[in-house]
Amino acid sequence: MRLIEDILRAAKQVADEAEVFYAQSESIAADLKRDRIAIGSKSKGSGIIIRIIKDGRIGVSCTDNPKTWKNCLDAACASARFSDPLPWKGLPGPEKIDQKPLAFDKRITTDPALVIDLINRLKTGAEAYAADITSGSASVAISEHTIANSNGLYYSTTGTQVHVSLEMIAGQSTGYESDTAWNLDIIDPEKTGKEAAFFAANGQGGEEIETGMYDVVLSPMAISQLLDAAVIPALSGRNVHTGRSVFAGKIGEHIAGDTISLIDDPMDSRGVANCAWDGEGMPVRKIPFIENGILRSFAYDLRTAYRYGENPTASAVRTGQSGAPAIGNHNLILKGPESDILSEKAVYVHDLIGAHTANPMSGDFSVELSSPFFAYDGELHEPIRTGMISGNIFDILHKIQGCSTDTRTLGSTIVPSVRLSGISVIGRG
Amino acid sequence: MSLPYRYYDVRRVTGEVTQIDVDNGRVEQAGSSFFDKAVIRVLGEKGWGILSVSGEEAEFETLPESFIQEAYDASQVTNVHIPIQETPSHLHVVPAMKENPADVSLDEKVTILLDMYKATNGQDIVSRRINYIEKDETVSFSDCLGHAYTYHLCRCGFSVLAVASRAGVVQMGYERDHTISGLNIRHRQDLAREATERAQKLLDAKPAKGGVMRAVLDPELAGVFAHEAVGHASEGDLVKEGSSILKGKINEQIGSTLLTIVDDPSLPQFGFCPVDDEGTETKRTEIIKNGILSAYLHSKETLASVGDGVAGHCRGMPGVEPIVRMSNTFIENGDSTYDEIISECRSGILLKGSRGGQVDPGRGMFQFNAEYGFLIENGECTTMVRDVSLSGEILQTLHTISLIGNDLALHPGYCGKGGQTVPVTDGAPHLLLDNAVVGGCEID
Repeated sequence: MRLIEDILRAAKQVADEAEVFYAQSESIAADLKRDRIAIGSKSKGSGIIIRIIKDGRIGVSCTDNPKTWKNCLDAACASARFSDPLPWKGLPGPEKIDQKPLAFDKRITTDPALVIDLINRLKTGAEAYAADITSGSASVAISEHTIANSNGLYYSTTGTQVHVSLEMIAGQSTGYESDTAWNLDIIDPEKTGKEAAFFAANGQGGEEIETGMYDVVLSPMAISQLLDAAVIPALSGRNVHTGRSVFAGKIGEHIAGDTISLIDDPMDSRGVANCAWDGEGMPVRKIPFIENGILRSFAYDLRTAYRYGENPTASAVRTGQSGAPAIGNHNLILKGPESDILSEKAVYVHDLIGAHTANPMSGDFSVELSSPFFAYDGELHEPIRTGMISGNIFDILHKIQGCSTDTRTLGSTIVPSVRLSGISVIGRG
Repeated sequence: MSLPYRYYDVRRVTGEVTQIDVDNGRVEQAGSSFFDKAVIRVLGEKGWGILSVSGEEAEFETLPESFIQEAYDASQVTNVHIPIQETPSHLHVVPAMKENPADVSLDEKVTILLDMYKATNGQDIVSRRINYIEKDETVSFSDCLGHAYTYHLCRCGFSVLAVASRAGVVQMGYERDHTISGLNIRHRQDLAREATERAQKLLDAKPAKGGVMRAVLDPELAGVFAHEAVGHASEGDLVKEGSSILKGKINEQIGSTLLTIVDDPSLPQFGFCPVDDEGTETKRTEIIKNGILSAYLHSKETLASVGDGVAGHCRGMPGVEPIVRMSNTFIENGDSTYDEIISECRSGILLKGSRGGQVDPGRGMFQFNAEYGFLIENGECTTMVRDVSLSGEILQTLHTISLIGNDLALHPGYCGKGGQTVPVTDGAPHLLLDNAVVGGCEID
């Protein structure tokens, strides 16, 4: 692309190395308010993020108006003057990577008929149980991104994404579900609708639970929120090296039950946005963070790896306001011993209210339950009215007794439901 | 134009974001980025059509007809007729800043932050980080009724994180301050030191014990309580959708007669809206007056269909359609002193600072987390505790407020809803709750 070449050429005049990340996307959506479509929307945009390196100092800036790239380049250069220098070992050069899109469904276009069909399928699924829709949404997006740098790297790919969500209510019992996929054959709006209706309809009339210790089964949504709150940040190399991770210095130690593994597998077929390279153009690979309970690795982007003399792990992602690459993960998979986790009696927790309020350093949390049920004989039975669970997220890694066979992909995590033993539940009974 | 639309408006926001990240003494990032986003809303024969554009496409002086057409086309998937109410329109003056951050060089800001960083040093402190953010925005709004506004607003602020560690225990102290009144980072070593001292003291704090007890909330946390437990459930869109426990409760006594809760977007605080994002004049709205539910927060759409409340509470992120939101939400002062509240509590817990909260307004359950607390024994604050949260049912909890203090204070922050984050302030005086469900990591 001419624009990218122009920017790189200009940047080379003033910097040692330069990188351009260009993204463009188009999406449409339909929003349900109660059982009718009240909003139709369309969105289109693009953006560039320019990063330059000069004397080991990194500067970055972004703009959503590619025409103004010169201002953006100036801002990136200005920003480099203030940043602390580090032993920079270079941006990656080009490698023989297959650039075939891994998450692109050519049937996905911005045709309104697609979102109307998804909405209808959500509503069909929701008819399975007696509950009312309060709101819902279906959207499709097509995006394209290119990363190029002054070492001759130039990768480009396109991707598609389809998303549905539904919120329902019956009396004072609410049910929420969502699904995201890159492919129209994988998205399951009927199931999303049915599940939201199930939790709304069957959550009514619950009794209060007595305060005490219980076996608890956390849904994929619930366990992934707890992982996000403390475990994933603690695996970030930057947090490890700056005193913000309890995992620092524990490589090779047992930090989870013997049968528990946490692996980032960027090419796992269940991923929703697989790509052969990371946010800095590094070829992605499988990283075992926790293997059979033992801490094996941390996540690094180039900046952090170079700063602290570690090996980059191709863990850079492009999120956040500045658009600068930051440490993240691609498909973080939680694995444990598969078993029939609902056969013995347990408190089943579909969702949590306030998981983000957990202490990210210590891992301590106490959060309200959403759609809790007593489960046994493989099914959810009596609803529980209210309750809080509390504990420590890092301890939970030692308390996982079993995992469901099926998993869900939630953003960049792929998780089963997990059965935990000995969890405090605070009731109002 | 022959398009059969009933209404349209357009809001364009252009601006610059400056961020500085001082991590363990090193400037990891210091620089600016640019954005230009516009959202066009058209109300077609039935529902809304929304078009979001950015960059070069948002760079228009007058709204191109083609954008109205595209937004109108997007409305064609809707199948419900949405009425909207005409509302008074007016722009409040944006107060002048004491020191415009744009007049201070990046160089000087970095120097000030590095100086503040020095104040975070201390025994057992293993990590220290200061983040600065400055968002300078120019907002232009116009609608098909002839209203047109342009205003400029700069929001800036900083946060300080200190992490302390000793004998395997890791704790953090976090302080922040955000404002619309200009650069606020000079001479703030006090706040930096507070974060450090909090982290150090929390190393010796005891884990809180969960259970049902009397609880005192400090102004910051009581503000989050007002926001989570009442504010969200009073949002007209949730009421309209049937997902608020406060639906159908106007003029009912839903809480203690001591309780008055207000949302005021016209107040020049961090959640200030000179005009709301659909051109409506903003003004003080009393959600609860002396315990009686008095008004919902509304947009033009929700006012038309729900009634019983005030429009002017519709806000959106740049380039995103506005929805009903809070702005500056607070509990009005009562007449109890802090000492009276602690003494009246006798035995219970004082919760301080906020790590955020969440609500399920349909079910009427909320949760929020304090940064720390103190046990109250024999009417006096004693042992410091950590990781303590509170959850409850909205309708039940509002009746359990037995004392309200006279020391209202506002705290700036951010609120997320429907994937959009907007600046807000929450505030309250100290509150005493009877029968609060407190969560802690230990139980009897």
